[in-house]
Amino acid sequence: MEIFVGYGNYTIALATMIGIYSIMALGLNIQWGLTGLFNLGIAGFFAVGAYASAILTTSETPKHIGGFDLPVVLAWPLAMIAAAFIAWAVARICIRLRADYLAIATIGIGEILRLIFKNEQWATGGTRGISNISRPFEQLPGIWAPLAFLGVVLILAMVAYWLAERGRTSPWGRVVQAIRDNEPAARAAGKNVETFRIQGFVIGSAFMGLAGALTAHYFKFVGPEATDPLQVTFLVWVMLIVGGNGSNRGAMLGAAVIWTMWSASELFSSRLSGDWAHRAPFVRLFLVGLILQIMLQYFPDGLMPRQRQITARLPRKPTIDQPQSSHILPPF
Amino acid sequence: MQKSYPKLVTSTALCLWLVVSQSSAARADIRIGSLSALTGPAADLVKQVFAAEQAAIDEINSAGGILGQQATLISADTACNAQVGVDAANKLVNVEQVAAIVGGTCSGETIPAASNVAGPAGVLMVSPVSTSPEITKLDDKGVLFRVVPSDNFQGIYMARMLLSKGITKVALTYVNNDYGVGLAEAFRTAYLAGGGTIAGDSVHEDKKESYRAELATLAGGGAQTLVLFAIGDSSGLTIMRQSLESGLFEKFAVADGMKVSALLDGIGAENLEGRIIGSVPTAAVGPQSDRFKELYGHTDKFTFGYTFTAQGYDAAMITALAIEKAGSTDRRAILNAVRDVANAPGEVVGPGDWAKAVQLIKAGKDINYSGAAGDHEFDENGDIEGVFAEWTVKSGEVVVSPAVALGR
Repeated sequence: MEIFVGYGNYTIALATMIGIYSIMALGLNIQWGLTGLFNLGIAGFFAVGAYASAILTTSETPKHIGGFDLPVVLAWPLAMIAAAFIAWAVARICIRLRADYLAIATIGIGEILRLIFKNEQWATGGTRGISNISRPFEQLPGIWAPLAFLGVVLILAMVAYWLAERGRTSPWGRVVQAIRDNEPAARAAGKNVETFRIQGFVIGSAFMGLAGALTAHYFKFVGPEATDPLQVTFLVWVMLIVGGNGSNRGAMLGAAVIWTMWSASELFSSRLSGDWAHRAPFVRLFLVGLILQIMLQYFPDGLMPRQRQITARLPRKPTIDQPQSSHILPPF
Repeated sequence: MQKSYPKLVTSTALCLWLVVSQSSAARADIRIGSLSALTGPAADLVKQVFAAEQAAIDEINSAGGILGQQATLISADTACNAQVGVDAANKLVNVEQVAAIVGGTCSGETIPAASNVAGPAGVLMVSPVSTSPEITKLDDKGVLFRVVPSDNFQGIYMARMLLSKGITKVALTYVNNDYGVGLAEAFRTAYLAGGGTIAGDSVHEDKKESYRAELATLAGGGAQTLVLFAIGDSSGLTIMRQSLESGLFEKFAVADGMKVSALLDGIGAENLEGRIIGSVPTAAVGPQSDRFKELYGHTDKFTFGYTFTAQGYDAAMITALAIEKAGSTDRRAILNAVRDVANAPGEVVGPGDWAKAVQLIKAGKDINYSGAAGDHEFDENGDIEGVFAEWTVKSGEVVVSPAVALGR
């Protein structure tokens, strides 16, 4: 019996992380999948959300600024606003950069943000991070506490999906997709390209900030290690590419597939004995890289390719049709 | 795509069956989890610590096992990171159903794993590496113990040691992680309060090629002694080599992270003669650590003398003793047994004494494990007292002075 409770607990933890990663993948999908903005600084915006919410909800302590004691219903929107504000400031400066240059700029910004959080000890606790963060429903008994938090995460993930899907099918979504596919054409149609790109960037970053806030409260702790680009930026990119770039459902599916694979693969690798036990964890990283390669080589549209309902109704011209996926591959 | 679904379903089912069957087949054993950052920035260090934990479990198994059964150490990689650490702890506690956990390693994974997973589930965690002062007051429901003293204690000891030697002016540099920052903070406060002067105080990032610019700035303050809180086969080695090359500092005062063979090999013991003074938590003195050296000094199980390997061994031993004392794999009973086996009073047992310890427990006697890295008397927070020794390099060898207890 105990083992089933155990599997239940593990499934809840797995689903919670999938929910959180889904929100990040949806945010990235708005930025890259719809608007065509290459953001490699996900970890930075994630960290802004995580630290903002942690500082706002913890009680007074000499270790970092705080003492606001806000409830999460206020702190989470504020964390989103903080991430969105930083994203807006960044976007104002570098949104005109072309895809690969924007990628370089966002790597830098992500690292700057992370290093600020790591080094400004008076504000963030520095390398020690912020501990004893409260988690909603943690006082419930037994399995109900993680289950209730999972419910919150899943509801937020569904709301995020609904918003992202509404955005995609709305006139706004059609404009940003037009900008992604053909910027001069969108400009010629009288659209203010910069404004729309800034909007896409800010909305996506707000999603990432929310995911950061959820992570901080789920772990009850946030430190510089939690914003490791490998775990945040890289993994979220893999999720989006595997799931299907441009498709919101694909982003969520990708989050589920990649996180499950990442987590569950260890259940096998930990059974290896002797020297292999040291090496097996590295195989997990290799496995993620391999999946990324296979997907990029053979299924560049992902498991759930994006719907093309915008162009589907138009009659196809008999000219050479470039495969739509070819130009939206990331340059790695 | 459509065709491959049955295959996918079959293979998934097969995998699940494999997990379930394997885990239930192995259930007869005593299962101990090891939360270790086998990948990530601390991988080199943690690999050795994990090997030392495994060595302890192997030793126990060859001496009869825990509760008469063979023990298995199941590793879960934490990557020195909160997300992966919590996920790994979840797997150990819920899927692998371990009786107790040895670990975690980096404080950034230990804290969320204890407060989020092990705490609510009531699973014992004994960390051999996490030195962050944050852990002392952590809301972990009493599950987290550690066999390394908080950085606070060692920093204070270092300050007193230097002042007692009449060194009243130093430059300070430390690696930018919780280990370095924690030590530096405690040292700075105690040293300034004791009347010392810090001429030059800077943090450095790990794993850089050159620290010459930082060193020049630090030496500009005019101090002859450099206090260096870093790890001896990483930035610590580079900094020491580069300041010796340019003759910037006469002496180096270091902590336990520098007491690694890589430092002696990398710089040459003759160059360090009389120039290095260090502190170390009570390791390498007393009969227990002599016995530990006798057992593992010349094996290839792990690099003997590597930072935190003795602590890794002790953490595994204490965990195993707690299970033996509890008499079952009931997690609550194990948790309650930790202080019984590790704290005084009781007959002292140490490395290599597993069979004796089991006999004593069976006879209903109280035992007091005193390990390779110290006495391990846990206080109410699951911390150990800071008991430290001074070490230096004399005639090509590391020499450790008798230990000094540091009052609170």
